[in-house]
Amino acid sequence: MSNGLVNMRDQSFVLYEQIGIQKLFEKEQFADYSEDVVEMMRNEAEKMAVNVIVPTYAEGDKEGCHIDKDGQVRVPRCYHDAYKKFCQGGWLAPTKSPEVGGQGTPVVVASSCSEMFSAANFAFIMYPGLTLGAAGLIERFGTEELKNKYMYKMYSGEWGGTMCLTEPGAGSDVGALKTTAKRLPDGRYLITGTKSFISSGDQDLTPNIIHPVLARIEGDPPGTGGISIFIVPKYRVNDDGGIGEFNDVRVGNVEHKMGIKGSSTCTLNFGDEGKCIGELLGNERQGIRIMFHMMNEARLEVGVQGLGHASAALEHAVQYAKERIQSVPVWDMKNPDAKAVPIIMHPDVRRDLLWMKAYVEGIRAMNLFTAYCIDMAKVGDTPEERAKYQGFVELLTPVCKAYSSDMACLVTSKAIDVYGGYGYCQEYPVEQYMRDCKISCLYEGTNGIQALDLVGRKLGMNKGANVMNMMGEIDATIKKAKSHGDLAKYAAKLEEAYFAVVDLTMAFAALGKSSGFLIPILNASPYLDIFGDMLLGHFLLQGASIAREKLDGIFAARGADSIGKKRALVHTDPDVAFYEGKIAAAKFFAIEVLTSVKSKCEAIKLGEKTPIEMAIESFAA
Amino acid sequence: MNIVACVKQVPDTEAQIKVKGDGSGIEEGGIKWVMNPYDEFGVEEALKLKEKLGGDVTIVSVGPARAMETVRTALAMGAEKGILIDDPALYNADAYATAEALAAAIKGIPYDIIFCGQRAIDDDSAQVGAILAELLGIPQVTFVTKLEIDGTAVKATRPIEGASVVVATSRPCVITATKGLNEPRYASLPGIMKAKKKPVDMKKAADLGVSGAAKAKVVKFAPPPARPPGKIICADDTPEGKAAELAKLLREEAKVI
Repeated sequence: MSNGLVNMRDQSFVLYEQIGIQKLFEKEQFADYSEDVVEMMRNEAEKMAVNVIVPTYAEGDKEGCHIDKDGQVRVPRCYHDAYKKFCQGGWLAPTKSPEVGGQGTPVVVASSCSEMFSAANFAFIMYPGLTLGAAGLIERFGTEELKNKYMYKMYSGEWGGTMCLTEPGAGSDVGALKTTAKRLPDGRYLITGTKSFISSGDQDLTPNIIHPVLARIEGDPPGTGGISIFIVPKYRVNDDGGIGEFNDVRVGNVEHKMGIKGSSTCTLNFGDEGKCIGELLGNERQGIRIMFHMMNEARLEVGVQGLGHASAALEHAVQYAKERIQSVPVWDMKNPDAKAVPIIMHPDVRRDLLWMKAYVEGIRAMNLFTAYCIDMAKVGDTPEERAKYQGFVELLTPVCKAYSSDMACLVTSKAIDVYGGYGYCQEYPVEQYMRDCKISCLYEGTNGIQALDLVGRKLGMNKGANVMNMMGEIDATIKKAKSHGDLAKYAAKLEEAYFAVVDLTMAFAALGKSSGFLIPILNASPYLDIFGDMLLGHFLLQGASIAREKLDGIFAARGADSIGKKRALVHTDPDVAFYEGKIAAAKFFAIEVLTSVKSKCEAIKLGEKTPIEMAIESFAA
Repeated sequence: MNIVACVKQVPDTEAQIKVKGDGSGIEEGGIKWVMNPYDEFGVEEALKLKEKLGGDVTIVSVGPARAMETVRTALAMGAEKGILIDDPALYNADAYATAEALAAAIKGIPYDIIFCGQRAIDDDSAQVGAILAELLGIPQVTFVTKLEIDGTAVKATRPIEGASVVVATSRPCVITATKGLNEPRYASLPGIMKAKKKPVDMKKAADLGVSGAAKAKVVKFAPPPARPPGKIICADDTPEGKAAELAKLLREEAKVI
């Protein structure tokens, strides 16, 4: 029975059968972990997601956030109890070390729990999520004084956190920011400026909020190199750790958004009355570098957000398609006595569902693998092994962020198609999944920025070694799948896509060094899509080969030696049904998606520059 | 205070149960196992009592190896130690044999109060707690929705039709918990990590001097017969006509009036 959020069986498959996170339990850093412990965690996370967070989903969307007359932002009322339970459960900072209030949990395990929480209500999860990121910066770059003052209370959820980067005139171009910091004689700084689109910028879940704020110290050079980062609390903190006087951080506005309405997105005015005091984090002019330390994990978290929405949309759509009865089956159309059937019986609906399933399962494997790479980059046995996994993290992070969120939006849209007109109505949850999901394409760097990061920085990183290592993984998947008779045909499709992407990547590398550099930039987004298609083909086929072997084992053990006996087992043995589903998704994806990768690569290589060659006047009247 | 809470691992309420082809039991493949929800109320009450009066909570369960997961869940919620009675002789135990094993295990440890769920949601027999109290020779209050303890005096509220009664007794006693007693907590992440290091004593039937022999004999498992389709009364489109038709059907077909 589906929990309506995440296919737990598939998640187990990815964790234990595909990635093999058991390898982590052998490492000293994760010696406290075992499959039993992880299973208990996933169980409790599922309970938390289903029983505590899901009930806030539609209600929080309807109520939204607002500013009270006293200037205080109020979040949906139902969030308060859920927030308390979530923090009490210790879910805010599982990956952090026990000394600071975490449990030293592997990132891949925490990400599997995050998928459930994201699927349950991402708008809600943003409050603890932002706090985790901000406290992480203080942990890594803060003095002991800063840590004692802020970090512990943030990791426990007692106080909230944000990330104040964007300004009305400085979003993707962060170097253009105008917020200033003026040195005070005591070494602290007076902060003045306005930040916009600040998630969790103000809320009434916690009595204090700690803002890391990017600003330029007076006299420092323009551009990103002159930016520093400051810790600015909403209320100053007394020497005894208690909450002191108001620190002149005011809410100018709460945005009215398409989705994630329960998450407060604020304009914050710092120092309107000249009384906003900040403390420098790290060294002067290191702000951008420091902030980027939280980027990889934050971007992966956005990928997992997309995954969560897509997953919940799939689980709901499958359930609905099994129950909703409409129209006679196409093979019975001429039979006047034919009865209407559940819509999952109709070819078009069925194809939609398999399309969704293939993307969801592929994206799940890609995101969890990347999370696993974050772990291995820390606990790998040799410097070479750690460097290899760090390379995967660098390469895959922009793809996880952008591809997962873009495709997740399409998956949620497809879920609405399955529901038909009902899906467009608020009576059913799928329209909210689509609205809530869209933000994942935009924040933490728009998907356009992610594509430029991939093409401009990540492909060439380590002299291309990261890409080559990934290609090595894909090559292994192709070879293995080719050894399984019925998968060979699909492995050939992955191989064709793989060669085409390698070829295009080399063409980009050559263009990057010549006057043709505009071609890779102009085509960065389609390149990321193609790269993502290839990676998903790889993860799905890798899963299918494992499923093939497991199935052969089950068939042998159960004495199923004929096609008839094997087929019969699909209906009685849930494992057989599951593994057959893995193979079906991989086959479908190979034919549906991978077959067009080569032609897309060829199209880019034609070097058309129409979008930049045409005059702006020609775009619209 | 020495507090004992008995737990049983059962299929999740959402699980789709299939009876084995030979009727010897249910298909266990693909089932998600959870702590019996009524036992959760018992564990929660045990923990609340400990937090109020001090002492520790011991979890006792009868079940196969997989039941360890349920014992650990209770430890992750905050109990101190566990006893798992895992013996093939008890795999088909009925309520009596289960209670006998529990009683034997509990006799070996100090106890001031024992909590059980009012019944398990798998076999719904609602007998284990009561038999356990009899075997231990101590008082019992079943279906408890409110509990007050003052020294050795115990006041327990249980619902009866249209009202509730307050039963006064003294500890040691067995309390079987039902919905309304409390809101069970979730196991926290730190709790889960600590649970791994808490002691769980493994027992066999022989260690406890019980045979596991059941008093009830299971002849066969069978799914309930499929429910016949409902009937829509539309003989006459007036409320009076429909009422008359309904009364007729209730009397002649359903034979309930």
